[in-house]
Amino acid sequence: MRELLTYLVNGLAVGCGFALIASGLVAVHRVTGVVNFAQGMFAVVAGLSASWLLGAGLPHGVSEVAAVLIATATGLLTGLLAIGKRGTTPQSSLIITLGVGVLAYAVEIFVWGDQPRSFPGLPGSLTLAGVGIQWQHLLVVATTVVTFLLLTAFFGRTYLGKAFSACASNPYAARVIGIDVTKMGLLAFALGGLLGGVAGVLVTPLRPVSFDTDVTLIVNGFAAAVFGALTRPGLALVGALLLGVAESLAAGYGYAAYQTELALGLMLIIMVVQSARRATVLEEAV
Amino acid sequence: MTGGARMKRPLPGLAVGAVTLALPAVLDDSALSVYIFLGLAAMVTVGVSLLMGYAGQVSLGQGAFYAVGGYTAGILAVHGGPPVLGLLAAPVVAAVFAAVIGVPLLRLRGHHLAFATLATQLILLSLAGQLEFTGGDIGLQGIPRFGIGPFELGDAASYAYLTWAGVAVVMLVTRNVIDSRPGRALRALATSETAAASSGVPVGRYKLVVFALSAAFAGLAGGIYAFYVGYVAPGSFPVLLSIEYIVMAVVGGLGTVWGAVVGAAAITLLVQALNVVGTAPGMPSYAPSVLSYAVYALVLIVVVLFLPHGLLPAVTGRRAARRPRDAGAGR
Repeated sequence: MRELLTYLVNGLAVGCGFALIASGLVAVHRVTGVVNFAQGMFAVVAGLSASWLLGAGLPHGVSEVAAVLIATATGLLTGLLAIGKRGTTPQSSLIITLGVGVLAYAVEIFVWGDQPRSFPGLPGSLTLAGVGIQWQHLLVVATTVVTFLLLTAFFGRTYLGKAFSACASNPYAARVIGIDVTKMGLLAFALGGLLGGVAGVLVTPLRPVSFDTDVTLIVNGFAAAVFGALTRPGLALVGALLLGVAESLAAGYGYAAYQTELALGLMLIIMVVQSARRATVLEEAV
Repeated sequence: MTGGARMKRPLPGLAVGAVTLALPAVLDDSALSVYIFLGLAAMVTVGVSLLMGYAGQVSLGQGAFYAVGGYTAGILAVHGGPPVLGLLAAPVVAAVFAAVIGVPLLRLRGHHLAFATLATQLILLSLAGQLEFTGGDIGLQGIPRFGIGPFELGDAASYAYLTWAGVAVVMLVTRNVIDSRPGRALRALATSETAAASSGVPVGRYKLVVFALSAAFAGLAGGIYAFYVGYVAPGSFPVLLSIEYIVMAVVGGLGTVWGAVVGAAAITLLVQALNVVGTAPGMPSYAPSVLSYAVYALVLIVVVLFLPHGLLPAVTGRRAARRPRDAGAGR
C-alpha cells in the first residue's frame, strides 16, 4: 500500500512534467495549427542551461529563471523559422521544427557536450501518512497546477489570450479585425518555449537530460496532448497525469522495460479511436 | 513527369546507368562502403518520396521498416536459412508488417500519422532490445555473407552491384506505379481525400498499398544492410535515421523518382565530406556529430523554406514548367 502511494506520487510528478510539455504543444497548435516537434528540445535546452549556470556559480532561482528565459528565446527563434515566412503550410512547419530539433542537437553538443546533465533540486522530503514525498516532486506538482490555472485565465480572460483563440478558430477573420496572425503565432511559440523551459528546469533534477532526451519528452508530451485533441489544455493535463501514473506503476511493479511500449501504445489507441469519430471532410476543410 | 522525361531522352538515363555499373570497379573499399550506403539510402528514400509526394502521407518511422528488413534477413541467416530466402523475406515481411499496422494507423493523417509512425519505430526498437530472438540490446552478431548456393559474395564490389540492382528494381517499380492508373489516383488523394473518394478512388486501399510498398523498399535495403554489415542491433536504426530519409526525400524533391536518388546522393556525400573535415587532425572530438547534425538541419530547413519542390525540380524546373504537368495523362 505504501509502495503504491509512492509510485502514485512519483507518477503524478513525472506526469506533470509531460503536462507542461503538452501545454506548450497545445499553445502553439491552438494558435498556428502547427505541431511543434521542437517542444521537447525547449525543455532540454532549459535543463542543460540551468545545470550549466549553476555550475558557473549562479545561485538557485536565478539560474532556473535565466534558463527558462533562454528556452523562451529559443521558442521565439523556432517560431521565426517555422512560421516567419509567409505561406508556409502547417505540414512544412512541422518538418522545419523537426529540422530545428536536429539543429539544436548540434548546438547543444557544441556548448554542453553529449553527456547527460542534472542538478540538485529541492533537498529533503516530507513524510505524510508514512510515505516519504520528495519536496522536488511537490514543487513540480504545485508549479504545474499554478501554470495551468494561469494558462486557463490567460486564454479565457485576457485580450491577448482571446486574440490567440481567434487566430486558431479562423485566421482570416482574425486578420480582418486587425489581429496580426503571424505576430500571435510567434508569441505562441515564445509561450511554448517558456512552458517547455519550466518543464525542463523542474524535471531535470528528477531525470538527467542529455541532448537526445527530447524525443522521449516530445513523444510523451504529444501523447498527453492528443488526449485533449491538441487544443484543450485541461484534457491534456488529465492525459499527462494518467500517462505518468501508468508508467510509474508499470516501472514499480517490475515492467520497467515496457514503459515505452505502454505509453506509446496508449497514445496510438487514443489517436485511432479519436480519428474514427472525426469525418475526413471536416478535417480537410480546416 | 520523370517517367515521361526519361522515355523521351534515354541518353542521360543510360549514361547514369553506365557510370553506376562502372563505379564499383574503380572505387577502393572505403569509397565502396559509402557507395553501398548511398544506394541503400536511395532505396528507402524512393519509398519515402512516393509516400510523401504521391500519397501525401508523412512517415517518421521509415527506419522501423528498414529495421524489420534487417532483422528478418539476420534472424533467418543466423539460424542457417539460405541467404536468398532471407533477402526475399526482408521486403515481404516489412510490407506485411506495414500492411498490418497500416490498417489502424492510416486512419490518421498529417502530424498524427507522423507521430504514430515515430511511435511505431520507438516501440519496435524497444521490443528488439528486450526480446530473446532478436538478440536484445547487443543485437544479432555474425550474420553470414550473402550468397546463392555455392557462390558467395565476399568483396564489397559485389555488394555494391547487389545494392544498385536493388535500387534499379525499386526505381522501376516506382516508375510503373506512378505512371499507372493507381498512380494518378494517388496524386488525387494527396490533394484531397474527399474529392478522390467521390471520384471513385478506393482511398483507404491505395494508401495502404503505397505504405506497404514503401515499407518493402525499406525492408529490402535493410536486408542488404544486414548481410553487408554482418550484424544488426537496435542502435543501428535510430530515430535520426528516419529523419535522414525525410531530409533526403525533401532535398531531392518529393514525388520524383530521380530526385530521391539525387537527394540521397547529395546528403550522403555531403555528410561524408564533413566527416572527413570533422575527423581531420586538430578538430575536437565532437566535431563530426556537430557538423553532421548541423548540416542535416540547415539543409532541411533551407530546402523546405526556399526550394519547396526540392533540388532536382529546382534545377530542371524551367523545362518542366513549359511541359504540360502530367506526362502520363493520355493513358
